[in-house]
Amino acid sequence: MAHDYKAVQWTPFKTRFDLWMLGGITLYLVVFVAISAVAQPAGEAFAPVQILIRALGTLAFLLLTFILCIGPLARLTDRFKPFLYNRRHLGVTTFLIALLHAALVTLWYHGFSETNPFVSLLISNPRYDSISGFPFESLGLIALIILFLMAATSHDFWNANLGPGLWKALHMGVYVAYALLIAHIALGAIQFERHPLYVTLLCAGSVTVIGLHLFTGLASLRPAHRTEHEGWLKVADLTDMQDGRAKIVRPKYGEAIAIFRDGNTISAVSNVCRHQGGPLGEGKIVDGCITCPWHGFQYRMEDGQSPPPFTEKIATYATRIIDATVYVNPEPNAPGTPQPPSLIVDPA
Amino acid sequence: MSQDDFFIGWADTPRTDRRFFLGAGLALLGGTGAIAAAVASAQNRPGPGTWAMGDVREWRGFASAAPYPILRLGTADDPPDFALLGCQGKCGVSARIGSHAGTPVIVKGSLIERGPYKMIAVVDGMDWIRADEDTTDAAAPLPDLETLGEVTLRGEILDSKCWFGAMSPNQGKVHKACASLCIRGGIPPAFYVQDRRDQKALMIMTDSGLAHSRDLLEFVADPVEIAGTLQRQGPLFLLDSPVSAIRRV
Repeated sequence: MAHDYKAVQWTPFKTRFDLWMLGGITLYLVVFVAISAVAQPAGEAFAPVQILIRALGTLAFLLLTFILCIGPLARLTDRFKPFLYNRRHLGVTTFLIALLHAALVTLWYHGFSETNPFVSLLISNPRYDSISGFPFESLGLIALIILFLMAATSHDFWNANLGPGLWKALHMGVYVAYALLIAHIALGAIQFERHPLYVTLLCAGSVTVIGLHLFTGLASLRPAHRTEHEGWLKVADLTDMQDGRAKIVRPKYGEAIAIFRDGNTISAVSNVCRHQGGPLGEGKIVDGCITCPWHGFQYRMEDGQSPPPFTEKIATYATRIIDATVYVNPEPNAPGTPQPPSLIVDPA
Repeated sequence: MSQDDFFIGWADTPRTDRRFFLGAGLALLGGTGAIAAAVASAQNRPGPGTWAMGDVREWRGFASAAPYPILRLGTADDPPDFALLGCQGKCGVSARIGSHAGTPVIVKGSLIERGPYKMIAVVDGMDWIRADEDTTDAAAPLPDLETLGEVTLRGEILDSKCWFGAMSPNQGKVHKACASLCIRGGIPPAFYVQDRRDQKALMIMTDSGLAHSRDLLEFVADPVEIAGTLQRQGPLFLLDSPVSAIRRV
């Protein structure tokens, strides 16, 4: 968490995850290169650099598609939370693969002439007024710059120093990058490579990403019809409050609220993790602390502060129990403000 | 979900997650290999061109400079055969052929070849060409230009060097920048036509018998229709037309 910074805070899981990731990347590149090099008619062969350009480009698209599916899949099933935990390594790796693709393209297609390769990249196709003739390279370049900004600021150091809001907004740029990547492929390689598989993959990838986000997004936006009592929102009956877990309440205004039960106490905090905005209400009480399901950040129930030496704070909320029903005050306390929990006199 | 099922990255991974991760990992690996195989297999054929880049040899022939530097290979007794001349990169040799134009020469370079089409990528430096002083079986120029008629053709403007085998793949929009740089640098532009019966033809492009200007560049790699005069010079076909006779389709 935030008390010090290391390049990578390795855990056994991250090591295993990265080994799987590198295995998959190696497998893709080996299979792609081998088939492109070997399975050609007699007397015909691709240039090795061009095989690599294609292998890296298609791999970057597939990886980014998978990365964008992880978030909504993790909302649908807890089993995808391990993928979400190490999504950052996937993202940085995807940027490096895209960078290598771009470097080889710049060298091979724009190099070996008196014109500066980077100048050539921008002037070789001036048909910005045409859809089919649009210079798709510029779309890929902008997507790469966005991915660079995200990779460069992916470390928690930047999250803490930019602030969660700005950091999150910056990293939402991945959706712009993905849209640009789709256009880069549709107006580029697919204009020449006409096999239906390419269009199918492109459509399947983008439809899956959009569909998953719409499905989970609409579910979370569903208006909560909360019974009010003197301005307090009804959460649930005590019998429905699972020990160590939370109910999430979405007030009309402001952040969603996570109301946890820990034994005989009820406490409420902001549903938004200070780290990367993870849904705390989908987390669990571990060692007496609310634990974020995304990256394991922890907060004390009584005051919304991370245990020392960590320094993150989230808003707390007042709760009360009336007739075995839990209510929460939708007005937040300042982050880190102590808030006595409600006691369950007769545990359900 | 049991108490032990909650995944925390910095703690021991729950057994349920380990098993799921193993299954999902294996499925993803299998899917990755299958997609790689399918995507690689679906590519257009690369074409038959080759560049024997490391095989630098000397070639005897008769050099011409206009409309583009070209070497008529062999002697007058040999069947007419030709090789266009280019440099190692994306450039022609018009500025370097000098007084050797119109004379028998020996050229040093490596061969780029696609079927009957040849280009010699000459070595860097000044010694890429020298006069051929062996007069026992003198080289001969290409036959005279022969006009075959007016034609209107649809196809793609590309650079001859890449299409002959310097690159593979060497056509289409993804190759547009490279083709533009080649033609801008002096590589002869070519017009490639492929009809519905898969008959293919390649013509070197000229404008009033001369090399095309950079005005041609805006049409490179786009599907275009050209109205012009089809010409023949020995085994070499040429399409002579002004840029104004080119339109996108």
